[in-house]
Parts: sequence; C-alpha cells; structure tokens
Amino acid sequence: MRTLRLNGAVREALAQEMARDERVFVFGEDVAHHGGVFRVTEGLLARFGPERVFDTPIAESGIVGLGVGAALMGMRPVAEIQFTDLITVGMDQLVSSAAKVRFVTDGAMHVPLVVRTVNLGKGTAYSGQALEAWFTHVPGLKVVVPSNPHDAKGLLISAIEDPDPVLFFEHRDLYSMAGPVPEERYTIPLGQAEVCREGSDVTIVAYSAMVGAAKEAAEALAGEGLDVEIIDLRTLVPFDGEAVVTSVCKTGRLVVAHEAVRRTGFGAEVVATIADSDAFGYLQAPIVRVANPNSPLPYSRSLHKYVLPGQEEILAAVRRVMTYV
Amino acid sequence: MELSPHDQVEMYRLMLLDRRFTEHVLRWYKEGRITQGMHPNIGQEAVGVGACYGLSPQDWVIPSLRTSNAYWVRGVTLLQQINAMFGNAESISRGKETAHHAAYSEYGILPGTGIVGGSIPVAVGAALALRMQGTEFVVLAFFGDGASNRGDFHEALNMAALYKAPVVFVCENNLYGQTVAARSAMAITDIADRAIGYGMPGRIVDGQDVLAVFNATQDAVARARIGEGPTLLECKTYRFLAHYPIFEEDRPADEIAAWLERDPLTIQGARLTEGGLLDDGAIGEMDQAILQELDEAILQAEKAPFPDPDQVFQSIYAGPAEERWL
Repeated sequence: MRTLRLNGAVREALAQEMARDERVFVFGEDVAHHGGVFRVTEGLLARFGPERVFDTPIAESGIVGLGVGAALMGMRPVAEIQFTDLITVGMDQLVSSAAKVRFVTDGAMHVPLVVRTVNLGKGTAYSGQALEAWFTHVPGLKVVVPSNPHDAKGLLISAIEDPDPVLFFEHRDLYSMAGPVPEERYTIPLGQAEVCREGSDVTIVAYSAMVGAAKEAAEALAGEGLDVEIIDLRTLVPFDGEAVVTSVCKTGRLVVAHEAVRRTGFGAEVVATIADSDAFGYLQAPIVRVANPNSPLPYSRSLHKYVLPGQEEILAAVRRVMTYV
Repeated sequence: MELSPHDQVEMYRLMLLDRRFTEHVLRWYKEGRITQGMHPNIGQEAVGVGACYGLSPQDWVIPSLRTSNAYWVRGVTLLQQINAMFGNAESISRGKETAHHAAYSEYGILPGTGIVGGSIPVAVGAALALRMQGTEFVVLAFFGDGASNRGDFHEALNMAALYKAPVVFVCENNLYGQTVAARSAMAITDIADRAIGYGMPGRIVDGQDVLAVFNATQDAVARARIGEGPTLLECKTYRFLAHYPIFEEDRPADEIAAWLERDPLTIQGARLTEGGLLDDGAIGEMDQAILQELDEAILQAEKAPFPDPDQVFQSIYAGPAEERWL
C-alpha cells in the first residue's frame, strides 16, 4: 500500500473532504500562504482558493468563535490552532460557545466544528503541553488523538462529518512517521479503540505518540517472554471503556501511558473505569500510570528524559505490574 | 426600508410590550411566582427595537443579556419567553436555558452565551458563512459597554473588518458594567472611537430614540449587504433600574433623574401623538391588550408541566443518548 507521513495523511483528508463537501473550509494562523508551520495545509490555497483557505490574525479566541458562528450557519469549518499551548486562549469559545449550543437549544442548533491542533512533545514550558484531558471534562466536546497516519486520515474525515465540535490532537513526532494510508476516502468511527497488538499477560492502554513507545516496549518484553496487549484509544471522547475492560478481564494487569501530566490526566479516567467495572475482580496487580510526573516541560533537552515519559518508563511499569505478588 | 405610520406605531407598541414584560417579570419574581429574576432593560427598549425593525426574516441577530426587545421584533411571543423563564416543558429548550440567551432558529435568533462579549466572534463567523453561502443576509451582534473591553470584542472587530464580514456591531452603552461605571473601566468616553482602530466606521447613536437607532442600523445593514463590511454602532442609553433585582443601587441620583427625562417610550410617544398617529385612548387600548396577553401567558406557563427528566441527556451530542458515554 502507498505510504504517507501523518501530515500528508491529514492534508489528504482535508483535501478529500473539501472536494466532496463545499461547506468545508480551512483557516488559522499561517495555514494559507505558508501552508502551515508543519506543512499540513500545503497546496490547499492553490487548489481551493482564498474563500475556503485563509490566514487569520493571531487571535485564537476569535478563530474558534468564528468557527462556531460559521458552523451554526451550516458550514463545516476546520480551524487550526498552531499548537496545543495556544488553545488556552480559545478556551472560552470552546467551552462556553461550541460545547453548549446543542444542549441549550435542545438540539435545534449544533456546531459541526473541527479544531485541529498539535502536541509538540519535546518542547518547552510554553510549547509542549499535552492538554487533551481538559477537553474531556466538558460535555459537548469530542476529543480525537490519532497515533498513526492511517488512523489520522480516517478519524479526521469522521471528525469533519461529525455534527458536534471535535478537538483533533495531532503530534509533532508523528508528522515524520510514514505508514500505509489508502488513497480512497474512508472513515474510522469516533469511539472505537483498536487492539493494535494482542497479548495475554498485560494490557497497555495508550494514545497518540505513546502508542509507538508502547509497541517498542512490547517488542523488547516479547524477548523476555512477556505477551503484551496494546490498546490504542484513538478517541478520548467518546471513550471506548468497554475495550479496556474486556482486555483487562483477559490479562488482569494494566499499564496506562500518556505524555500529559499524571494528575487528573486521562489515565485517571481509565483507571477509574476499571475500578468501577467487572474487570476490578480480575486485577492481579495495582494499575500503574506512565505519565509526566506533574512538571512543566524544561527547555533543556538534557532534562526532557526526567519529565517526558517514553519506552523506558513503560518497560519499568510493565515489569512492576508483572512482578507484583 | 421606508417607515409607514403603522411601522412607527408598531415600534412604539414593541417598546411598550418590552417594558411591560420586564415590569411583570420583576413583580412575579418578587411575588415568588417565578424563581428567576431578570436583568432589567427598562430605559433601553429603543435599541433592540430600532435595530431589529426592518431586518429581513433571513437576517440573524445575537441578543445580549439585556436585548429582550429583539425577541419581540423577530416574532417570538411573550408566552414563549415566559415559558423559557419558567424552564417548563413548553419552553424552546425544554428547560435547558432561560429566556435571555434563548435561540430561535425560525426567527433568526442565535444563542448567546453567559460570557460577556463571547458571542461577538460567533457573530462574525455566522456573517462570513452567510456570505460564503452566496446570500446578502447580515448578522446583528448586540453587546454592552462592558463587553467592548473584552479581548473577544477586539479580535472579532479586527477580523470582521479584515474579511469585510456582513455584520453590524450594536453596542448598548448603558454606562455601567454591573456596578462599575464605564468611565472607571475605560479611558475613553465614546466606544464608537474604537472602530477607526479596526478600519470600520463607528457611529454614536441616540439610543433613547428608536428612529435614530433604526436609521443608523439601516445604513449599516445596507453597507454590509453590498459587501462594504461591518459598522460599529454605539447606542448611548441607560438602564433605569439596578443591574439585577437583588443588587444594591449606588448610581448618582441626579444621573438617574437626568436619564429618566429621556425615556424612549416618552420620546416616541410624543412624536406619534404630535403627528396625530396615536392618542391616549389608543395607547390605553394597546396597553390593555399587552397586559391581557401577559396575564394569560403566565397562567399558561404556570400550568405547563416541568420537562421530562429523561430528555436531559438527549441533546449533549447527536444520536441516541444510550449509545453515548455520558
């Protein structure tokens, strides 16, 4: 199959939806003439014209608010917030405008808005935060966290088709990751996790860039005779808790991994779901969360390994749950 | 749009209806007949009535907290808004939102939010969508003087001017943001002065004169329809009552007295009686009809059942509630 990098897969999803549905338009900082700082929207201006691909001022609240207004009138806006740290400036429009419309109008109006943004991973205190869990706390929003190019394309097309507001978190480390992506249009339903590696000894639940780290860890652990199952959540809202429960009933051991900080990160929701479920009785060891240990990201790369979790932390966590007696 | 004598009388009636609505809601609140008070706009009736009168049914408006009058001009009934305040099963949102942010798509009214100024960028997006869809329709965004200090106002006006969005910004400058005087919240006197900084016309309008508001809005709407972009209208007005029924009032008595001399109902009423279009008898009949409608509406709203609790979760996301992770 043809391979694409994740930024190319997102670009193809945008272009296919724009070609198919004239209500879809793309806007944000540097997205039109420059083609996006990560080249995601490159070529869209030339192909679809300035009415449907346009640059905005540096005004994140205005960007999201503009998207809400256009969505209310039946358009399918796709806004780009250049990276996740900037989304705090647009927070009110997401929380008080986008998320509430369907509810306060009893379904008479709705907001089919997609806000794409990027977790930078190895960044700094101001550019590198993983804030996706914030949005899972607001009823009315959906949250998508793809881990590979194939899923990014199918999930983004579903997000654009979706009648409700969707936050779509890409990851900078994945932009350079190539993977098989079908050329034709396809969708992946929001709310369906994927068991991307089957195993019987321990379950690792991850999303976005941590899925890759989990896969590498699983390969290493296979050499030690451990059979690891990996669940890629793909979306946090809707959350496929059933997939996690089913897996933990089988393996009896769980590690949850994300780059976001541990305290009230989405991992806490995964753990609580297991504690509330039939899987509780199957647990053979405490659940371990692999996450940022509640710290802002330091500037110096030499310090990143103490803050940003990766394959090593996953390996340590799995060994811990496997050796618990 | 040319105003006929009938239109002029109708504008007066809509302002009177809004005045009586507010007075009754405040009374019903005091009597315990409704559980929610309201943010009274007595004294400000000319702004929403003058601005919305003469719009096309396919134009859209986003009212502010205090633009209850816009609803009547667009065709919403007293009963509909009283039901919304009761939060009963007959209310437009089935109890999920009260009257002042209520949306009515069939009347071209978009939902407001509880965040002051939050709907200003939403209005710009709606306006751009109307243009993308090839229509000549416009959006009116209402907000107060307080909202004009928020970042959303500045981001939205900059973008609206940049994209020549077909939107009219109607600032209801009633001189106070809750208890803080506008002069204590901004170093300028005229909010209209802000317009030039974004590259759009700004006009100061007598917000107590419904015809002045009407004429200024008609000019701004005409510009917007032909693609010349947005206008900021600053309607100078005053709320005769406190911010909310339970608030202590601490505005200067002489300031209140001076503004009471400029009651929008008196101004338009005098114009109509002097022009022979209305007399005390006709005003009395008009008033009686409104009072009767209000009495009937509250009785009907009181009789309506409260909403079915099962439907609460049905409009958070699309699709059946049972298929969702609540």
